Amino acid sequence: MTARTERQGRPPADLDDPGLTRFEVVRAGARRDDIEIVHYEPQVAAGSKAEQRLARTVAVLFLVAAVAATAFLVVYVWWPWRYRLVGDIEEFYTPLLGVTLGVALLALGFGVLVWGKKLLPKEVSIQDRHDEPSPTDDRRIAAQTMLYLADELGVRRRPLLGVSLLAGLLPVGAVAAAPLVGGLIKDPHDDQELFRTGFAPADDNGAITRIRLVREDGRPVRPLEILPGGQVTVFPGIPHGVSNAHADSVTLLIRLRAEDALVARENNREAGKQDWMWGDFIAYSKICTHAGCPASLYEQQTNRLLCPCHQSQFLITDNARPIFGPASRPLPQLPIEVDDEGFFVATSDYQEPIGPDFWERP
Amino acid sequence: MRLLIALTLAGGVYAAFAPSAQAQEEPRFSGAAAEGEALFDVGCVTCHGRSAGGVQGRGPSLVGVGAASVEFQVGTGRMPLARQEAQAMRKPPQYSDEEVRQLAAYIQEIGGGPVVPDGIGDQLGEADLTRGGELFRINCSQCHAFGGGGGALSSGKYAPSLYPASDRTIYAAMLSGPQNMPVFGDSQLTPEQKVDLIAYIQQVVQDDRDPGGFNLGRYGPSTEGLAIFLVGIVVLVFASLWIAGKS
Repeated sequence: MTARTERQGRPPADLDDPGLTRFEVVRAGARRDDIEIVHYEPQVAAGSKAEQRLARTVAVLFLVAAVAATAFLVVYVWWPWRYRLVGDIEEFYTPLLGVTLGVALLALGFGVLVWGKKLLPKEVSIQDRHDEPSPTDDRRIAAQTMLYLADELGVRRRPLLGVSLLAGLLPVGAVAAAPLVGGLIKDPHDDQELFRTGFAPADDNGAITRIRLVREDGRPVRPLEILPGGQVTVFPGIPHGVSNAHADSVTLLIRLRAEDALVARENNREAGKQDWMWGDFIAYSKICTHAGCPASLYEQQTNRLLCPCHQSQFLITDNARPIFGPASRPLPQLPIEVDDEGFFVATSDYQEPIGPDFWERP
Repeated sequence: MRLLIALTLAGGVYAAFAPSAQAQEEPRFSGAAAEGEALFDVGCVTCHGRSAGGVQGRGPSLVGVGAASVEFQVGTGRMPLARQEAQAMRKPPQYSDEEVRQLAAYIQEIGGGPVVPDGIGDQLGEADLTRGGELFRINCSQCHAFGGGGGALSSGKYAPSLYPASDRTIYAAMLSGPQNMPVFGDSQLTPEQKVDLIAYIQQVVQDDRDPGGFNLGRYGPSTEGLAIFLVGIVVLVFASLWIAGKS
């Protein structure tokens, strides 16, 4: 590097010279990195009125930032924020957070900007581009240093050292990764959770209980409660059935018009699903077979179920066959009947996995 | 004297029970329903047929759809249809409230059906908004969207925006299941639950209460992202240009 500086025709400054100013030392240092300060000019005279004024401006801006940031914290902690129908000052909670944080960041930014643009001296520095590779000597030195290091460590002469180091390190790395990766590994076949839902009949020592279809508030459903062209979202009537613990069990219970029900029943029969309907009632999984969105947009005149995410359409009267959109499988059907007390129950669990495809079900 | 009484009685009984030629000509309905029939025979009969029996390929039978259906379809201007299309649109109503009431009375007397009860507005103050919101999310939001702005269905049909809907309109729609909307009878959603729902729609959804500031049409992240991209980025670009130009 020294060679290059000399090539540009400037002798290196003698750093031992006690007469050098600090600026000259800095400039000499910059030159060693091939940076030449070609222009240097203070914008304001040191100690001048203008400098004082600018310093005050910067200080005020930083102060504003501090005040606004403090206000943000105060609002964040103490301002009432709970949603009320007839809101009062709660309505200003979010806007206040935004405004205070915005002002703080803006003031900070402007402060730095004024400091850098107005107070600091103007300076133009030029650094030469290094086009050609480093000199042969430099490259040779670098290569030999690395090889020398390897030799010094002795891994070449004693490979056991290197191998044992790797053997020791790998398990330690695995230990570090274990808690992160381990949580992601789970065998879905342990409890067959991809293959069964909350509607699986409960087996209490041989006493089979069919699961009721209940509403979101836990009430079971009677046939008479739904009019033709009506639908109700139902859940398995088990503990935590209406919760995320059984998010895969959400089902649409639909009452078709009598003439549509005949068609649906006939198509059911042809698909080998004899008596899966009860009366005019038919039940399908609410979870789209494409990407798992709730396909619950029920068109009661065209007997279609729509999925709002990717516009898949399923024909209810034909085994929920997909007739439009990206879904490739029909919605799984839940076989239903009415128990002795007159409430809907699931005859059995879904006969196929609900929801989108997975590795065993492409 | 007895004879006179007997004769009068006999005549009166005869007059009361004997079918007379004149009685056939008298309207089958009374009051509002008769007025409604007159309106129907002018404005609706082309598509819905005589006595609302329906016309193949033009319009369905209205027997049994009930006053609620008339109130929804005619009261919001969806009927009469401008033309046959995927779905009837909301338009300025063609009939006055009084005429809608008469038409509704006529349809109700033909075949019965659901009726919107009176006094919904008075119950809204007592309604349970939390419950209403829960019911809205499980029954309505899939088609009408969380913000109530509506959304697309199949083949050009759509779920309309809930913003212009009045309490009676919403109630009528739930009872009658207009067009492709499912029916929510009183045994599925009780009248109290319907009132809760309506209160939620009117006081939370329609009221446009957006604590976060501008709602940008409540279309969600798409419009917000677009707004940030178009407005925010442009502002930032010009701000950087301005700062750079100052140096």
